[in-house]
Amino acid sequence: MNPTIKLSLVILIAFEISFTQVWMVNLALLIVSLLLMIYAHVSFKRLLWLTAVPLFFASALVWSLKLQGSTTPHFLGVIFTRIFVYVYLGGWFSQTTQPLALARSLEQNAKLPAKFAYGFLAAFNLMPKIQAEVATIKAAALMRGQVLHIWSPQLYFKVILAAMNWSDQLAAAMTSHGFVEGAPRTYATTIPLRHRDWWLLGLSLLLVQLGLFCGLP
Amino acid sequence: MKNWHLRDIILVTILAIFMGVIFWALNPVYTLLAAALAPLGLQPLANEILLGVWVMAGPLAGFIIRIPGAATLGEFLGAVVEMFLGGIWGASTLISGAIQGLGAEIGFAATGYKRFGWGTLALSTLTTTIVTFAWDLLRSGYATYHLNFLLLLFVVRLLSVFFFGGVLTKLIANLLIRAHVLPTTNR
Amino acid sequence: MTTAIRNLTFTYPNQEHPVLADLSATFPDGSFNLLTGPSGGGKSTLLKLIAGLLPLPTGSQIILAGQALQELPATQRASQVAMLFQEPSTQFTMDTVLDELRFALENQQISAAEMPAKIAAALDFVGITSLKNRHLTHLSGGEQQKVALAVIVAMDSKVILLDEPFASIDPAARLDLLQNLVQLSQAHGKTIILADHDLSLYERWIDHLSVLEAGHLTTLSPEATQQRLAIFSAPQRQLTHVTLPDRQLPVILQGQDLGLRQGTRQLINPQDLSLFAHQITLITGPNGSGKSTLLRALVRLTDYQGTLTYDGINIQKRRRKAYARQVALMFQSASAQFLNVTVAEEIALSHKYGRQTYFTPERVDQLLAQLNLTQQRDQIIYTLSGGQQKKVQLLCMLMMAPQVLLLDEPLKGLDYDSIQAVLSILKTVQHDLQLTLIMISHQLSGLDGFVTLHLQLADCQLRYQEADQ
Repeated sequence: MNPTIKLSLVILIAFEISFTQVWMVNLALLIVSLLLMIYAHVSFKRLLWLTAVPLFFASALVWSLKLQGSTTPHFLGVIFTRIFVYVYLGGWFSQTTQPLALARSLEQNAKLPAKFAYGFLAAFNLMPKIQAEVATIKAAALMRGQVLHIWSPQLYFKVILAAMNWSDQLAAAMTSHGFVEGAPRTYATTIPLRHRDWWLLGLSLLLVQLGLFCGLP
Repeated sequence: MKNWHLRDIILVTILAIFMGVIFWALNPVYTLLAAALAPLGLQPLANEILLGVWVMAGPLAGFIIRIPGAATLGEFLGAVVEMFLGGIWGASTLISGAIQGLGAEIGFAATGYKRFGWGTLALSTLTTTIVTFAWDLLRSGYATYHLNFLLLLFVVRLLSVFFFGGVLTKLIANLLIRAHVLPTTNR
Repeated sequence: MTTAIRNLTFTYPNQEHPVLADLSATFPDGSFNLLTGPSGGGKSTLLKLIAGLLPLPTGSQIILAGQALQELPATQRASQVAMLFQEPSTQFTMDTVLDELRFALENQQISAAEMPAKIAAALDFVGITSLKNRHLTHLSGGEQQKVALAVIVAMDSKVILLDEPFASIDPAARLDLLQNLVQLSQAHGKTIILADHDLSLYERWIDHLSVLEAGHLTTLSPEATQQRLAIFSAPQRQLTHVTLPDRQLPVILQGQDLGLRQGTRQLINPQDLSLFAHQITLITGPNGSGKSTLLRALVRLTDYQGTLTYDGINIQKRRRKAYARQVALMFQSASAQFLNVTVAEEIALSHKYGRQTYFTPERVDQLLAQLNLTQQRDQIIYTLSGGQQKKVQLLCMLMMAPQVLLLDEPLKGLDYDSIQAVLSILKTVQHDLQLTLIMISHQLSGLDGFVTLHLQLADCQLRYQEADQ
C-alpha cells in the first residue's frame, strides 16, 4: 500500500474511533490490524510487546475509570479495545513502512516540499548518534560531580547545543550534495500511487462507517 | 516573519528526537509509577505527573526556532519518533502530538510570534493544558470521571505542564540566551 | 580556466576583526592544493565561502573553474563545487550508501535511467563497490569519508574542497583517499583544495602549499613547499625516559580478553591489558585505530568484548555515579565537558564537587594566571578560542581530581607556551595527589621525561614500549 495513503488511513481511523463508542468495531479493527501484522511477518517478540504494553495500560485505565468514575461496562469495553486499536494500528504502520519510503511518498504523492521530506529524513538517520549523545552528556556531567535529571536545565541546554551544531553540519552537507530548496528534482525510485490504493482507502473507511452505523445503539 | 529553511527543519527534527530519547529513558519510571498507582485506580495520575515532559518539545521548539508552526511540528515529530520506537499510545500518539503542539502553538500565536518571555510561556502552558485535557476527555474517557477526581487530574496536569513547559523551558532558554545562541526574549 | 578568489574580506557577525582580509588567490585547474594555517585561522570559513555555503560579501569575487560563483544558479553549483567535511558522520541525508548517491543525483536532476551507471562508476573509482548497500551509520569514519568522496565523484564536481578530512580516519583509508584525489586532479582535471593543520605525510602528493595567516593567504614556491613539508615528516620526537612496566607496579585498571570493535571492524583484538596506578601513561597509535574508543570503554561509554575491572571489581558492577568520580575522561571536544555558561561558573562547579582542600581559591587563581586565563574569568565559554576552552576544561577536570584521569588529546590546539604551562600543572598535581594519568596525544614535544609509560596501539594490539635509543 502507498505509504501516504496508509498513514492517512491510520490517522483517520484512530481519529474517528476516539469519538465513537462501538466496541464491536474496535474489536474488528484490532483483529484486522493484528492479522495484517502477522501477514507482514512482524516478529512474535514485537507482537508480544505490542500486546503486553496496551494490556497493562488499558487494564489500569479501565480499573481507574471504574473506581473513580461513574460509567457503564459498555463504555469500559470501548476504552479497553480502543487502546488496543491505537497500538495495533500504529504497530502495523511503523512495522511495515520504511521511513525512506514514507519520505519519498510524501514528496512525490503528497507534494510535501522536498526540504521537509529530506530534512526529516536526515535527522532521523542520525538517531543512533542522538541516543549516544544523551548518554555522553550524562556521563560527562557525572565526571564533574553533577547528576543530570529530567528536570535539569543543563541537560537540555547541552542537547540543544548539539542539535544546533548537527543541524548546521547536516544542512551544509545536504547543500554540498546539490540539494536546493524549492528546486525541481528527479526521482531514483517512483513510489506508485495506484487506483487500488484509493479503492482500499475508500473501502476501508466505508466499512468502518457501516460498522459504526450498524453498531449505534 | 521567518520562513522554514532546511536548517530549521533539521533542527526541529533533531530536537524532537532528543526529547523522544529523553522521554524514552523515563519509561521505566512511568511504568513503575503507573503500576504503583494502578491498584488504587489512580493510574491516570502517572500520566498527568509526567505529561509536562512529553509536551515540552512544543514550547522548546517554539522558543528556539521562532517560526510559526515550530511548536506544532516539534511536538508532532516527537510523536512520530515515539510511534516508531513503539510507544504505548500507538497511532493516537500522532494525533495527540499534533494536538499538544497546537496547544502550545496557540500561546505563541496569541503574541504574534514576537514576544518570547514569561507571559508567552505561561499562556502557552495554559493553552496546552486545556487543549490536551479536552482531548483526553474524549479519547481516554475522562469525561466519565467524578468531578473531584477530574479536577485533581486537571490541576496535576497544569502543574506538570507549567513546570516542564514553563519554568524549565524558561530556565533552558535563559542559558541559551546567556550563551549567545538565542536572541534575547523581547526583540 | 582557473579557480580564483579576488579581494575576499569576511567578518563574522558580532566580531570586530575580519577573519579573511582582502584575500586573493589562484588555483589552476587540475591542481592539488594544500591549505594550512593555525586552527581558528579561517581555513574552514574560506572553504565554506568557496563552496557557496556562506553568503559572499559584496565586493568579493570567487571564480570556480572559470565561472563566477555569484552568477551560478544554485541548482548548478554542486556540479561546479562540492565539499567533504571533517566530521564523517554528519554529512549524509539517507540511510544507505546507494540511497545517498541517488539523493545527490536526484538533486542534479539526473534521470533515473542514467543513475545506475554513474553510481557504479563512482563506487568503483573510490573502490567501495562492496559497501553499496551498507547502512551509513554502520561504516567506520574512513569508509564514510570514502562514500562522501564517491558522492562528489558521481556529481562530477569540478572543484573539490576537503576540510580536515583525515582527522579521525585510519592511515590505510587516508592513503586510498589521497591516491584517489591525485588521480582526480591529474587524470580528470579536478581542482582540489584540502585544508589541514597537520602537514605530515603530504609531500608525495600535493602541488602547492598555501598558508592562511592573519587573514592573508600566501602560496609557497615548490621549493619552500617541500621544505615546509619536510619539517613535518622529520622522524618523530623520541621518548627516551619511558620504561617497560615493572611487575611490582600496582595495577588500577585491568582488562581481560579486552577487545574493541567499530561496526564490523575489529579495532583491538582481545588481549589482557594492565594499566598502572600513579603512572603517567601515554597511548600512541595511528588515527582511527581505536585509542579514543579505548578511553570511552574505560568510562563505560562504549561496549567492549571481555571484562574490565577497576581496583579488582568489574566496572559494570560499579555504581555509575561513584565510578565517574574515580575514573573520569577529559573528552577530546572541550565543549562536551561544560555544563554552564561562563568560565567562573565552571570553576565554581568543579570547586563544589572537586578536591577543595587542595584546590583552594588561591591555588585556582594561581593556576588561572599560569594558564593565562585570568582575564577570561567572566567570559562566556562558547566565545573562547579552542585553545582557551581546552585549558579551562583541563583545569575543571583536574579540580575534580579523580583517581584515574583519562586525557584524550589534551594538548590539541594549544600554542607552545600553553603546552608548557599545561604539562607543568599536570605534573605537579599528579605528583601532589598521586593521580593516575592516561593520555592520548599526537603531539609529543615536551612529553619526553613527562610520561613514565608508553603504550602503543599498532596492528590491533596494545603493547608497552621500551625507551627509544
